[in-house]
Amino acid sequence: MAKGVWIVAEQRDGALRKISFELASTARKLADQTGDEVSAILLGSGIESLAAQLGKYGVDKVYVGDSPALEPYVTEAHAAAVAKIVKENDPAILLLGASVQGKDLAARLAGKLATGLATDCTDVKIADGKLLAVRPMYAGKCFGEIVTGSNPQIASLRPNVFPVAENAKAAQVVKFDPAVDAAQLKSKVLEVQKDTSGKVDLTEANVIVSGGRGMKGPEGYAILEELADTLHGCVGASRAAVDAGWRPQKDQVGQTGKVVSPNLYIACGISGAIQHLAGMSSSKYIVAINKDAEAPIFAKADYGVVDDLFKVVPELNSACKKLLA
Amino acid sequence: MEHAKPLAVGNEGREVFWNAQSFEPVLFLLTALAMAVFIYGVYQRWQMWRALGKPEIRWDNVGERIKALFLNGFLQVKTWKDPYPGIMHGLIFFGFFVLIFGAAFDAGEFHITEPLFNWSFLRGDFYLGFSFLMEVFGLFVLIGIIMALFRRYVTKPDRLGYKGTPDNTADDAIVLLLIGAIIVTGFIIEALRIYVTNPSWEVWSFVGWWISRGFAGLDYATAKMLHKLSWWLHAILALAFIAYIPYSRLLHMITTPANHFMMSLKPAGSLEPIRDFETAVSFGAGNLEDFTWKQIFDSESCTRCGRCQEGCPAYLSGKPLSPKKVIQDIKTHWLARVPAAVKAKALAEARAKAGATDAQSAEAAASQEAAAAELPGKVIDLHELWACTNCMYCMEHCSASIEHVPKIVNMRQYKVLTEADFAPELQLTYRNMENNSNPWGIGAHLRGDWAKDLGIKTLAEDPNVEYLFYVGCSGSFDDRGKKVSVAFAKILQAAGVSFGILGNEEGCCGDSAMRGGNEYLFQALAQANVAVMNGYGVKKIITTCPHGYNALKKDYPNFDGKYEVFHHTEIIADLIAKGKITLPKSLEGQFTYHDSCFLGRYNEIYSEPRKILSAIPGLKFVEMERNLDKSFCCGAGGARMWMEEDQGERINDMRTDQAIAVKADTVAVACPFCLTMISDGIKDRQMTEKMVSLDVAEIVLKAMGIEETKPQVDVCTT
Amino acid sequence: MNIIACVKQVPDTEAQIKVKADGSGIEEGQIKWVMNPYDEFGVEEALRLKEKNGGDVTIISVGPARAMETIRTALAMGADKGVHVCDPVLDKADAYVTAAALAAVIKGMPYDIIFCGQRAIDDDSGQVGAILAEMLDIPQLTIITKVEYAGSTIKAIKPIEGAQLLIETALPCVVTAQKGLNEPRYASLPGIMKAKKKPVDVKNAAALGIAVEAKAKVVKTIPPPARAAGKIICGDDPAQKAVEVARLLREEAKVI
Repeated sequence: MAKGVWIVAEQRDGALRKISFELASTARKLADQTGDEVSAILLGSGIESLAAQLGKYGVDKVYVGDSPALEPYVTEAHAAAVAKIVKENDPAILLLGASVQGKDLAARLAGKLATGLATDCTDVKIADGKLLAVRPMYAGKCFGEIVTGSNPQIASLRPNVFPVAENAKAAQVVKFDPAVDAAQLKSKVLEVQKDTSGKVDLTEANVIVSGGRGMKGPEGYAILEELADTLHGCVGASRAAVDAGWRPQKDQVGQTGKVVSPNLYIACGISGAIQHLAGMSSSKYIVAINKDAEAPIFAKADYGVVDDLFKVVPELNSACKKLLA
Repeated sequence: MEHAKPLAVGNEGREVFWNAQSFEPVLFLLTALAMAVFIYGVYQRWQMWRALGKPEIRWDNVGERIKALFLNGFLQVKTWKDPYPGIMHGLIFFGFFVLIFGAAFDAGEFHITEPLFNWSFLRGDFYLGFSFLMEVFGLFVLIGIIMALFRRYVTKPDRLGYKGTPDNTADDAIVLLLIGAIIVTGFIIEALRIYVTNPSWEVWSFVGWWISRGFAGLDYATAKMLHKLSWWLHAILALAFIAYIPYSRLLHMITTPANHFMMSLKPAGSLEPIRDFETAVSFGAGNLEDFTWKQIFDSESCTRCGRCQEGCPAYLSGKPLSPKKVIQDIKTHWLARVPAAVKAKALAEARAKAGATDAQSAEAAASQEAAAAELPGKVIDLHELWACTNCMYCMEHCSASIEHVPKIVNMRQYKVLTEADFAPELQLTYRNMENNSNPWGIGAHLRGDWAKDLGIKTLAEDPNVEYLFYVGCSGSFDDRGKKVSVAFAKILQAAGVSFGILGNEEGCCGDSAMRGGNEYLFQALAQANVAVMNGYGVKKIITTCPHGYNALKKDYPNFDGKYEVFHHTEIIADLIAKGKITLPKSLEGQFTYHDSCFLGRYNEIYSEPRKILSAIPGLKFVEMERNLDKSFCCGAGGARMWMEEDQGERINDMRTDQAIAVKADTVAVACPFCLTMISDGIKDRQMTEKMVSLDVAEIVLKAMGIEETKPQVDVCTT
Repeated sequence: MNIIACVKQVPDTEAQIKVKADGSGIEEGQIKWVMNPYDEFGVEEALRLKEKNGGDVTIISVGPARAMETIRTALAMGADKGVHVCDPVLDKADAYVTAAALAAVIKGMPYDIIFCGQRAIDDDSGQVGAILAEMLDIPQLTIITKVEYAGSTIKAIKPIEGAQLLIETALPCVVTAQKGLNEPRYASLPGIMKAKKKPVDVKNAAALGIAVEAKAKVVKTIPPPARAAGKIICGDDPAQKAVEVARLLREEAKVI
């Protein structure tokens, strides 16, 4: 009988990512309802010392798979390692983060373990003894409640949605042999390109800070660059700004430029003509900063600030820095 | 030295072939030779015209065509519109015309009426008047030639070239000098004859008379010898002229009037729909073979006058497109290809006579299919092809009735339909039209939302209305355009007009797809709209967008969509005239009106918007320099609205500058594309504090004293 | 090269999604159906690979009868042939079942590389490519923005949070396409007409011998909470307003 709520913790460069704590805290909550233990799988090379941190958020047991073959992350290796320990222990629920890595791994595991997976969940609960996962579908135009018949019931959780709650447990560390041979892997990470500035295309960016006619000139974009750096985003521009020669053509967002759909679009000094809206209105969240209270962009914005962008943007940058620190 | 007996008064007239009696047979021989060369040249050309291009009938409605030929070919109505070149050409044309008639009179008398009826009519006062007239028109030609030389080689207007470089050819000079020389030698012959025969009445031949005075002292023998010499020179030049016609720009004496005769009698700007999508392998014009023969013949009638170029917004804003260059480039390409085509055609005809097998013709067809497209890309640069706004200036002002725009659209069709090789932003626009029936790709289910809370019924709710208000994409989706729709709907409501909308059943009119070369998409959109409209039995339609107006009016009939279509300015003008709406409120400031191409040049709606504005009390109106049929495009037509403008200056900014130049506070428009473009221009020129662009309907609503309800902006919600 | 591109027919991005009153799914009446945009990147990449290296492109789709339009769209873009897994018993298929159907089709044919979209914009699951790779026991490269083919291997760029990876993988493998991989072409009209005559093999679940019971079941579809109307941040102090926006982005929108 499958038992226990498990998570796959995520670490990068020897540090646990915040999603791991969100997973641990959520798993704890679920486990408390079913009266189960929370176990975490921690994979990597030389990462055993991280296990204790997970205990702080309610993890009872940490299965550590430590091997050079597990660093850096490669789907095959991690999927094999997780599948091995999961098959040995038969948990009822397995949670992963819906991060880039977590999504990749979760889907492979669903195949390997021949079970169901609910991706990118915004809520998970126990109903009738089973995991009920709530997740957005159709780009958030509706939500689905997902129930998986087989075990483990896998769900990946959307980052930054689930609260982190401390619940200290003396996490028991169980080392296991991931049984992964680096030489056998078909995929190899050749290079990790850290500095992606200028490499990430606007259309791929999760956050875009965009400036229009209100930027007054090319110099104005410095503050947008700073904010974009803080948010790991890109800088975009309206057609007016590109026409004026303030920004290169490749930065243009709109009907005749690029059509983007980031999670967050911050429009600074952009009035919001339809040709611009056509390029960004599918962004998940829109912030508008503009002096003109009647600018049409405010009708599309989730959050609007009617004020001088040259005063607001630097403050927003430092506020975000504080929150992300 | 023999001195001619002075002819007494009362013998007014002159001896034809004076001092040249014996030359007649030689002259006849040379004339025959010149005529042979002329006829051969025309025949050769005729074979060339037949060699390439698809069939097309341009000789129906002969009455109308003769009228067009008379107006534009003979009276030169279009040529006169430009004073200097108009007068210049008129002097040469009518001068030459009269001189040729004069020569015919002379010949008629000498060869027909005198020998047959012993009747000499070039005598007495008639002769004096005739002589005087010939002098005047001879002088006209000479003045015209001098004006032409002066213009072509001294003032060098840009339109006689391309981007500042004149496109003069040796032929241009030869033709002008030839005509000039014919006239000058004619005068000299006359002067020498007058000098020698010395009739006092020849003072009526005032030019010859005046020159003859300059010969004073010359002995008569020399004079007669000189006369013989110049007589021959004159005759040879004149015959050379005839012989030269088919081999020079003089050919336009035949081709241009022919082109007027064969002009399109269809509504301005309407395009021929593609009928076969299923079996054709190529769409639009990739090669000359894809044009009709008439489309190629256009190039033969082009005189490189540059009227088209002079008002072309693409050319004037620094883009590579010049309508003249397009026509000339097609001609150059045609001339290179046509000799082989003439041979091929002759061969094919011979084969057909001999009864060629199907296999052979199929083989010939296959070899045609394999030909790589040369027109768009090689002959016509793609930047040129896509710079056209379809504004119709070139066609409106072409003094040879050349149809530039359909050719451009045909070549675009090739790029879009056959090759699918065109600007990515236009691809996005087309995908949006395909998926959501609007160019921005906004959810189709939101189309009718603008009318919520206005009490406007859809035809689904009540089909028994007089008018369908076809709102169009801008009026339905663009926040700026929606305000115009609301304003116009309120005007209709105030006037008690019975109307309804289609709501979400409405679709994009497809104008941008059609003009951007995506005929397939256009037809799909048109057919969808027609199905809905015919389903409700729609008879009368009003649009606020001239693009929809034009498409519905001129192109939808091809797809069983036959309606009476009105533009909202027509309706509003009518409501004002009938007193259905009153305009009590006077409006401050200086107004100008920007003519939409698709309203003005395409549909000749020039007066309605102006009448509306003039009915508003207190309204000060000023015209921009370029207005009415010479209006300057806003830059958005021909699918340009959806494309980047990365060459030269922005057309909308140039148009805005023209409005700024007349100190307008309000630029009235009657088209949502123009509204967007001019509004953007005002922003670009940082004139938002001083200037605004409004649709005529919005202005009328203000004058009616009905305030538009401003959307509530809640300045603080947290 | 034998290239496979898997496609799904989905509602247009802008389509209005109305949840059925009983929560059993969405109303499909007014929806405009299109090819999943991420799958389209996959098809385009498949065509580019073919154009560069030769070979042919097979399109596979699991879906109801209308999905044939989407297969034809891919064929119009230039793909060579199609397989349509069409069976009413698959109407409620989840990612696992869909992948099983695809795997069953693919196992019967030669393949060097398989393209999928990184996710479908209807269920937003993003699993099919990976499960398919597992079922075929080949490596996967998910959410890829660049592919470079080099004989027996491919190199790919995969963006991750704050960096990007250059990964090399042995063929055959599954690549799931992310926005940015390419600009899909616009189908030419001769292409559209030719596509009507290209072969499409229609198969049902029984022929593939797959289990059709979904692993992850959508037990209920619910409308989203009404999205709050836009908030205009009050106050006179720009700094204060900026702090408030940052807080809302963090706590309410959860996007930073």
